[in-house]
Amino acid sequence: MRDQIEKYSGKLLADRSALPGRIAFAAQDDVLISDGAPDLAELAGATLSRLNALALVAARPSLPFADFLIARSPKGENCILPQDTETRTFLHDIPFLRKGELGDDPAPKIAVLLGNRKGVIVEGVGIVTLGAITVEQAFINYSSVFHSTFVKYLQDVLAEGFLLPGEREAFQAFRDQWLRPLSASGLVFRDKLSQEKDEILSEIEAVGRYTVERGLVDSFFGNISACAGDLIYISQTAASLDELKGCIDPVPTDNSSTTGITASSELLAHRKIFEQTGARVILHGHPKFSVVMSMLCEARDCPIKDCWKDCPHVREIGGTPVVAGEIGAGGLAKRVPPVIGASGSAIVYGHGVFTLGRMGFGEAFAALVEVENFCREEYFRRLEACMLPDEHKA
Amino acid sequence: MHGWTGKILHVNLTDGSCRREEIPTELLHAYLGGRGLGVRLMRDFFRLDPFDPEIPLIFAVGPLCGTTSPTSARLACVTRSPLTGTIYDCSAGGRFAWRIKAAGLDAISITGKSAQPVFLAIDDTRAEILPAGALWGKGIKETVASLKERGSVTAIGPAGENGVLFANIMMGEGNSIGRGGLGAVMGAKGLKAITVQGSGVTGVADRERFDAARADVMRLFRASPVIFGELGIAEYGTPALVDLMAQRRMAPTENFRSTFFAESGNYSGPSIRRECGARKEGCYGCPIQCKKSSDKGEPLPEYETVNHFGALNGNSDLHAIVRANTLCNELGMDTISAAATLSAFGEARGRFPDPAEVASLLWEIASRRGEGELLALGSRRVAQELGKPELSMSVKSLELPAYDPRGAYGMALAYVTSNRGGCHLRAYPISHEILRKPVPTDRFSFSGKARIIKIAEDVNAAVDSLVACKFAFFGATLEEYGELLSAVTGVEYGPESLKAIGERIYLTERFYNCENGFDRADDALPERFFSEAGSAGEGIDVPPLDRVRFEEELQKYYRIRGLTTDGTFTDPSFLEVLP
Ligand code: SF4
Repeated sequence: MRDQIEKYSGKLLADRSALPGRIAFAAQDDVLISDGAPDLAELAGATLSRLNALALVAARPSLPFADFLIARSPKGENCILPQDTETRTFLHDIPFLRKGELGDDPAPKIAVLLGNRKGVIVEGVGIVTLGAITVEQAFINYSSVFHSTFVKYLQDVLAEGFLLPGEREAFQAFRDQWLRPLSASGLVFRDKLSQEKDEILSEIEAVGRYTVERGLVDSFFGNISACAGDLIYISQTAASLDELKGCIDPVPTDNSSTTGITASSELLAHRKIFEQTGARVILHGHPKFSVVMSMLCEARDCPIKDCWKDCPHVREIGGTPVVAGEIGAGGLAKRVPPVIGASGSAIVYGHGVFTLGRMGFGEAFAALVEVENFCREEYFRRLEACMLPDEHKA
Repeated sequence: MHGWTGKILHVNLTDGSCRREEIPTELLHAYLGGRGLGVRLMRDFFRLDPFDPEIPLIFAVGPLCGTTSPTSARLACVTRSPLTGTIYDCSAGGRFAWRIKAAGLDAISITGKSAQPVFLAIDDTRAEILPAGALWGKGIKETVASLKERGSVTAIGPAGENGVLFANIMMGEGNSIGRGGLGAVMGAKGLKAITVQGSGVTGVADRERFDAARADVMRLFRASPVIFGELGIAEYGTPALVDLMAQRRMAPTENFRSTFFAESGNYSGPSIRRECGARKEGCYGCPIQCKKSSDKGEPLPEYETVNHFGALNGNSDLHAIVRANTLCNELGMDTISAAATLSAFGEARGRFPDPAEVASLLWEIASRRGEGELLALGSRRVAQELGKPELSMSVKSLELPAYDPRGAYGMALAYVTSNRGGCHLRAYPISHEILRKPVPTDRFSFSGKARIIKIAEDVNAAVDSLVACKFAFFGATLEEYGELLSAVTGVEYGPESLKAIGERIYLTERFYNCENGFDRADDALPERFFSEAGSAGEGIDVPPLDRVRFEEELQKYYRIRGLTTDGTFTDPSFLEVLP
């Protein structure tokens, strides 16, 4: 398991979600091991030893957003409730422990919370998450909490502004230093994808890596497909987009084989998009600013409460349609295919972005970057507009 | 009290008495229901021979039964198995479980033996033991048809009456208490059937919380390709696995001599749909509806059954497989053990039975005539008798299902650590090793598997006690089911506390088995898996299992469970500290 710990510590550094030197993992087989920053490793081990699970990560996020969310929460609250799809579907809510509650030995308290949820935020310490049966799961849950708190904090700041001392400065540092320009430059794509199996597989593997490397995902999730004659090649469910070798299912378009039962939960959406648009390839990621902006709706007095699944409208961000719909067999597979053809991209409320390529992945990747860049700029434009003194507002 | 009724019906078939009693609340809280409650109720009886009249045959529902919790109209049937000699439980879905709850009961415990064939009729207030002489010898359909006016029916067929060691108990709607020969225990008691009707409603302590938790579960079902995906089990039933297992080169073929059957496409999910017009069916109230029936309403076989009457016996005739399945259902026999026993018999004599012979042998088994007299004892005893004990592909006498352990090392370990013998459902590693749920694990590696199997066994013991269906956990987790349980009962449960309950149940079962003489020597896989390779292909190599690594991982498992190197308990008073 040490190799797994090393691998996923590396991933936390590579995706810049955790601070270097502030990462620790614990894992137990017949013995418990822990590794990483000594104080966090001790906490990780002491917490995991109280739980019937295989692995745990305790790490300090590279951004202070999770701690800010705790400090911004009214007294008496003990969890945050991000509205993005990943949280709703998999995390439900994210419990937290405030600094004042930790005492000398926080491990038992953290263990109690992790007895009910996949991850917890410990103020001043970091994000602690569990891997029920693998080290990878602990990493995934860490990334999901990081993603959800990122998205929620950006939403909250846009809605309520800065409320705490130091928040504005930290946010500026995030904007100036943590965020990096996003582009497809330096990436190599085949202009026109052939029908050759080996070429398709290697291109999908490469594009999966690019998508993770450029931060267009939460943890490593998303899905990718290419259509070739009677087959759809699609990444498998729960596959790391940056490690797709051996994890791409060829699925017959006529469903004559069920080998693709392990294919991405979005297989149906991909199939329908291919049918309705004639595209060659589809790319789906969860870029953060797109997720944030997709949930920003200006309608007032709308009677719909569960916007993420019930909104019947096609909204628009920078020319990209935004639709509601749950993942898998939920509404997404119905709502995305009819709207994606015109612009080549579509955003799903609180979830992520689908893009198309008519010839190959270059077009789909460029579209994904473009949508996210637009959402990023639009976010900051709106934030600045909110922050202006009243007399300067339009 | 919400969720539970707090009542058990004790039936003594020897003296004809039926009485309702209270179940102590702390037992319900500590063991939930279903498998856990049944196993706890066996504490004073687990040493009895399975055919001893005093052994209880227990039907226990769970606290979620009677609510709209997805997949939870289920029960566990618990006793000691005549096939394996272990403590044994089977989970089964259907209206019967729902009606037990509606009749105001959490459990029914049947002891004694009737001198004449009888059936038991239960309603809201009464329980009667009535003559069933006219039904004895009848098949399941006729038995169910003649009793259906009395409510939901569960019954044994001729196989159960005649003591076939893999006889099952069939529910009226086609579900079965399907493995371990519990039908033979019922038959030995002279009990042909049970009918139940009830009008009670299961209360929910916190309706709003329940609705939110239910919505969370349903969302996860929709997000799971295995459940509601267009190639998943809701569409194709478990035969959706046929193509996948063929592609992964782990479909047991010709008594596990190989792991690939070139003609398995004949009985794949899409083929069954095309040939039999498969309609969606399922357990009562379940939103998944993974069971399929033909356009004539005939239940169609599950994955295990198509593989075992198919590849395992070298047969690619779908219609013959469907007929064998129907016959087993009608005679009241476990399809997996029946087909695997025929396969071992076939290899021993050098010829696998053809479809016509399969049908005649199934009849002979159920009536214990001709070759059926021996075959009715299951593959271990058959292979032993034929002087080729190595040909029984079983663990603790339970025939292995349709996942070759050479293609999934967690499965290899889980087969031997299962407390009821060679079963895939105790730890269900296929979920992560093959179906990538909740996350994928490396199927050709033992690394970490001891801990993973232990955790999964605990989880599934809790699931079997809720009682929910394992398939629900291709999407949902104990997080959401813990919420449902808390909302229904008003008692707080979460994943960790449920796993602790599962661990308690698991260790209790293991303790019973150890007291009855089981130890490490019984935690063994057939030799074939260590000495013969599976079928390589499509770039996949299926080498024999590495015995050293296997034994190492088994020892790790014992350490994690707190057992001795022999797989036994150090503390003989282990049970005394448990509730
Ligand atoms: S998923 Fe299938 S087996 Fe499980 S409860 Fe539903 S219908 Fe029954």
